Amino acid sequence: MVSSFCWSCLTRLRSTPRALLPPSVTAPRAAASFHTSSARYALPTKKKNSLDGPPKYREAKSARMKKKKPTDRPRPPPVGERRTLRKRIVLSNPNALEVEGMQDISAETMVDSRLRGSILGLPIPMIAQLRAVQAFKPTQGWSIFRRPGTVVRRETLELGRLIDRISSDGEDKGKAVKKIVTGARGTGKTVHLLQAMAMAFTKKWVVVTVPEPQDLVIANTGYASLSDENPHVYVQNEVTAALLSRTVSANEEVLKKLHVSQPHPDLKSSIKPGMTLEALAKLGIQDPAAAWSVFGALWTELTATSPASGFEKNFNSRPPMLVAVDGLAHWMRNSAYKSAEFEPVHAHDLVFVNHFLSLLKPGSKQSTLPNGGILLYATSASNSPTEYGFEVALKQVAARQAGVKESSPEFPQADPYLRADQRVIDAFNSPKSSVAKEGSVELQTLGGLTREEARGFLEYFARSGLLQENINDEWVGEKWSLAGGGVIGELERLGRRLRTVA
Amino acid sequence: MVFILGVNFPERNLKSLEAFFGIGNNTSSRLLARFHIHPTCKVGELANKQVLDITAALSDMKIENDLRRQVLDDIKRLKETGTYRGRRHALGLPVRGQRTRSQIKTAVKANRMERRM
Repeated sequence: MVSSFCWSCLTRLRSTPRALLPPSVTAPRAAASFHTSSARYALPTKKKNSLDGPPKYREAKSARMKKKKPTDRPRPPPVGERRTLRKRIVLSNPNALEVEGMQDISAETMVDSRLRGSILGLPIPMIAQLRAVQAFKPTQGWSIFRRPGTVVRRETLELGRLIDRISSDGEDKGKAVKKIVTGARGTGKTVHLLQAMAMAFTKKWVVVTVPEPQDLVIANTGYASLSDENPHVYVQNEVTAALLSRTVSANEEVLKKLHVSQPHPDLKSSIKPGMTLEALAKLGIQDPAAAWSVFGALWTELTATSPASGFEKNFNSRPPMLVAVDGLAHWMRNSAYKSAEFEPVHAHDLVFVNHFLSLLKPGSKQSTLPNGGILLYATSASNSPTEYGFEVALKQVAARQAGVKESSPEFPQADPYLRADQRVIDAFNSPKSSVAKEGSVELQTLGGLTREEARGFLEYFARSGLLQENINDEWVGEKWSLAGGGVIGELERLGRRLRTVA
Repeated sequence: MVFILGVNFPERNLKSLEAFFGIGNNTSSRLLARFHIHPTCKVGELANKQVLDITAALSDMKIENDLRRQVLDDIKRLKETGTYRGRRHALGLPVRGQRTRSQIKTAVKANRMERRM
């Protein structure tokens, strides 16, 4: 290797000796412009392992996985906040227009057939009561209108007339009507119950509701054996206390005017003579352990027709009752509770469920609702477990209503290979009552609105300013067909979607 | 804070029972069903009587150190009688017929002379 430099010249140029110079990093590259061999024969540069550094003495050389640093997640919202958001019910939209000339549900309007197809608003003072019985569901579209209102459809008018006849003096006074409301998804079953409650409140009835039957069977609340005599019947105290508090806060005005009129041996210590029924029910809310016996006492009081001896003082006749249950199918199967032997508990073994289902059967001596009233049990189409026995039972109810004899071959029977639950079928198998005022179980199937009702409903959207559209018969007919023949839930969806027209 | 069998539980879900050695999902849910406690119950919500019942039931069961001792005794018995399983335990090799060409780390770790649980 011949150097192109004269070393003596270089040493003269730089006064510092070469050995003291720091090794230059660029030196090989500078040499490369003249020679390539030094770069070529140089030892391969070590790859720098800048992260770990050189392996230390007696250290594992296998690849080490770096631990991931935990990323900062946003803190979850406090307990219960998400649930309240999910369950929040908004009943008013200040941006929507006020609909002029909208009437409220009242004793006159609920029977007025001229109002068919129009929207009746829910009276403002009643909304607190309806909220108390949890008549509104978060999935319903109340939040797009100025104030809540419901369509008067054929079934609503029939229901209004029925409630009117039961409360007024006539031949139907004190009649007990039992109905199971079914229908496809979005046909307004829950709103039908809401309308019934609103009408019942206007007529000063007592309203008892179970808005979410599912909550009773998913084993999220405490349970206990009812008593030592019947250990396979279970009582749910917290749920019963919640039912009592719903009933009290919704019917406070009515219950305050009624007084205890029957002896209650279970609750002898806590019941004072002359106590109002409101105070009686509050006993169960304060002490959930006694909630079931308090509910039993309240029920006997509300179904009493005359005072027991010794309790004649200020006895007022009891008002009719509306019992509304929404989403019945959850009660037709095994619950998530377990018995002490670790067997699943059938929902009918829960005393709460059993009470409400036994109302479907005719009473032994008197009517189940001797002061009159309506049982309205609705099924749900969006949240309902498939239960073959229940399907058969409903078909049988419909057949009995149509007058088909049980012995006839047309009477629907359960397929023996499909394991229908016999208890469910028996629960709906109610013979004709011996009391004339007590009806047997009927099946009411809700379908779509008629075109006229649909037009009224869509006009309500337009008058609320949600729909900018020229509403004529042709257009309504189109939407009516699109909504599967006037299914009101679908109509509402269409009305929302067509909000702006360019 | 609730004491069950002398152990202090924070007021959490009743999964807490599974904190005991020898109680898994099945035993704990059977135990809860026996005293009519729903599965989503929190320890803090239990009535005093239920806590006492659970404690009584747990004290009858063979759990925690008793169970550990029993397992160790069983292994010891196998070793003393000179069975194949006992020998494998003593040698620190897999006991149940696994191959030993590779992957016997668990056996090496667990099957010591003085086994701990």
